[in-house]
Amino acid sequence: MGIASHIVRRLLLIFPMLIGVTLAIFVVSHLVPADPLAVILDQKAMSNPEQRQAAIDKWGLDSSLPEQYLRYVLNLARGDLGVSFRSKRPVAQDLREYLPATIELAFSALAFALLAGLPLGILAALYSGRWVDHLARVISLLGASMPPFWSGLMALYVFYFRLQVLPGPGRISSRMVMPETTTGLLVVDSLLARNGAALSSALSHLVLPAVILGWFSLALIARITRASLLEVLGMDYIRTAHAKGLYARQVIVVHALRNALIPTVTILGLEVSWLLAGSIMTETIFAWPGIGKYAVDAARTLDIPALMGTALVIAVVFMLSSLLVDILYAVIDPRIVEV
Amino acid sequence: MKKTVHLFFVLLLAVTLSAVLAACGGTAEPTQPPAAPADTPVPPADTPVPPPPAEPVTLIVGFDIQASSSMDPHQMFELAGAMADYAAYEPLVKITAQDFSTPVPWLAESWDISADGLTYTFHLRPGVTFSSGNPLTAEDVRFSWMRLKNKQGPPSWFMGWVADVQVMDDLTVNVILHDPSPGFIMVATAPYLGIMDSKVVQEHGGSADEDSATTDTATPWLDQNSAGSGPFILTSFTPKSEVVLEANPTYWGEKAKADRIILKHVEDPTTALQMLQRGDLDLLPRLDPDLVEEAKADPNLQVDVLETLDITYMNMTCDPTLSVPLSDVRVRQAILLALDRDGLIQSGLRGYALKPPSILPLGLAGVEESMIQPRDVERAKALLKEAGYENGFTEKFYYPARPLFDLVGAKIKNDLAEVGINVELQPTDYSVLVSMTWGEHTAPWVIGNWYPDYIDYTIYTDYWGYASHDWGANMRCEVPPELEAATDIISHGLDSAERLQAVKDWQAIMLDFAYGTTLYQANELIAMRKEVTGFGYIPVVYTEWGQLGR
Repeated sequence: MGIASHIVRRLLLIFPMLIGVTLAIFVVSHLVPADPLAVILDQKAMSNPEQRQAAIDKWGLDSSLPEQYLRYVLNLARGDLGVSFRSKRPVAQDLREYLPATIELAFSALAFALLAGLPLGILAALYSGRWVDHLARVISLLGASMPPFWSGLMALYVFYFRLQVLPGPGRISSRMVMPETTTGLLVVDSLLARNGAALSSALSHLVLPAVILGWFSLALIARITRASLLEVLGMDYIRTAHAKGLYARQVIVVHALRNALIPTVTILGLEVSWLLAGSIMTETIFAWPGIGKYAVDAARTLDIPALMGTALVIAVVFMLSSLLVDILYAVIDPRIVEV
Repeated sequence: MKKTVHLFFVLLLAVTLSAVLAACGGTAEPTQPPAAPADTPVPPADTPVPPPPAEPVTLIVGFDIQASSSMDPHQMFELAGAMADYAAYEPLVKITAQDFSTPVPWLAESWDISADGLTYTFHLRPGVTFSSGNPLTAEDVRFSWMRLKNKQGPPSWFMGWVADVQVMDDLTVNVILHDPSPGFIMVATAPYLGIMDSKVVQEHGGSADEDSATTDTATPWLDQNSAGSGPFILTSFTPKSEVVLEANPTYWGEKAKADRIILKHVEDPTTALQMLQRGDLDLLPRLDPDLVEEAKADPNLQVDVLETLDITYMNMTCDPTLSVPLSDVRVRQAILLALDRDGLIQSGLRGYALKPPSILPLGLAGVEESMIQPRDVERAKALLKEAGYENGFTEKFYYPARPLFDLVGAKIKNDLAEVGINVELQPTDYSVLVSMTWGEHTAPWVIGNWYPDYIDYTIYTDYWGYASHDWGANMRCEVPPELEAATDIISHGLDSAERLQAVKDWQAIMLDFAYGTTLYQANELIAMRKEVTGFGYIPVVYTEWGQLGR
């Protein structure tokens, strides 16, 4: 089977999977013993029968659950994600506002995790049992064991409050005029606006949350790369390559790393989704207006349209990143597609 | 060969580190204007040098704005939105920090109330203009209030009193009420009843017609702009991030002392205080009581402890199908007597709260400390014995799942264990709890917060005093007729002395019926930079933003 048909098949699978995701969330949301009206109305309005009836009529809450779900799916087919019970705005509009902040943070975290985790894992494997390996282990252990709500607060205390070398919460300094919103990605918008001060502020505001969020991924990448590379380095074909007189760099980069990176790529695919959806604590501590927080608030307040919209986005990202991983497999090892 | 490998990976690590460090590098925030270039002509020494233009004053207020989803005054109902809108939209009558129980004329320079208490005639102040330059007219008042009513947004219940709004002439408007309501003049001070520039709102799709719930399309515009006559103009709103207000250059009254006010979203209280200490914030309302001492120790900060009208209440059912023990009034009285509210205030709020006698908060006329019921464990035990619960009982206690309420719940459990009551703590998610208490009325015993949306008894008494029906703090209680009678007088009585007496009676009846009480009335704790001036606390709207300066 060629890679193109593989991609098409995976893309086609997305649609039934999305229906499954929305159905699962819809059913689970309605199992919670709470009335969506409580979210739509304030407690004072909840005690007003007229306002309650108006809200029931407006939001179609008197129709049966299958009818409500069918209406949702039909609207979804037209690209309409519905209106959030809480914000009273289209969910698509909410997501457009919150998603870029999360994408910016998640990809910065991923870049940090990759740029630091990969070399660390490689060095740990090459110098197994020596101080570099021990250092990598300590860094990984810290990343895997420190919860972001603690490490985030500590990082702010040390680098923002005490040393004053990094800025505090938020995406950009409040005293700065924001660049015109084009993409919602502040770094990109600052570049497009040729606003150097905003760019510098946006980049510096990214450092702490990206490091805190990416540290866990760094730990994972470093440990998996180390283990995988150690295994590959012990294989016969690597000894053969050395015996043939190839340079060590050639052996490691061209022969060993190519195979050793396959488990790392698998982890990367999962990490993209995790970083997008699991940044709730980092977003809270760094006052980062992203969809992680939006999703948790939606779940907490039973904002079903917002919850389903966010789940859809995360599901799409998860599926696309899985697809990307498959493609990367094929690039790294073409035999995989041929199976 | 080994050396080459070593060198390669050391280089790789170096590149990685430099990338990370480069990202860390740009930390300096350009807060100072750039220096003049070297070739800037220097004026001769004897030329009079004009004073440098004053630095624009920007004040940044740290606040949790995650509940804010709209800045349209008729589409939002939460504190941050109310605070911001109060800076941009002005009401007909105001309350001040000096005396928040007496309304003062504002957009209306005077008003008359008909003898039957049903018609309020507001005489508008001439010469008031909106930020657009349009003059304020009676039609703007009619449009604003009818839009509030017909848009059916979260604050539309404010128009529940109003039967009609009639334009009498350009500067006179009659407001007709359904029933005589002496508290209505205080309702008119609420930020949701601020007056909009009807022409501008209509230009952006606004409608006050009966079908405006479906035809009005002005909200997206009003989320990013304002159309009021206030000292500030809303210039941007980024949900969960910030609200930006710029001084209104054509303000009809005394100009705002600050050029810009930003409500910046902060959530973690410790980080918020650090931001204030570093100067990234200028004001930090709602300071966590645990952080007060640290804030007080900082020489650059001042901390104000202010009295609010916010209460944390506790309600108990009277319905035996929900709880047999709680349906007995003697048991409810025993619970109130057994609570150690002083200890609760000390342990949960570090002492930063008051202890009003009943549901009505201290600070309102007629609410007096002398009515406070002291803790009496022996009497509580006697009442339980009389009710047949000498050996106690077990009951579920529902509260919002938040850290402060965990402390409150634990304290209540301890206090009531002394009289043999075993409290089963039920921390409950917000949506579930609101459904149980305000929708289905299935919670036997709950606590929650209650913030006034205007300053009058009725924001409390209507909810607890008319609670027999599908309305208010319905705990499935048939409230005593005398409580309903007192509530009627407070809501509709036109005789001030009689109304004040009804307030006192109402509290006594509530203590006796004991289905709802205030656990504590928390203080507002605000920390601010020492250089900030002009702050005065006003319940509901927070402060007069135009007075804030540096």
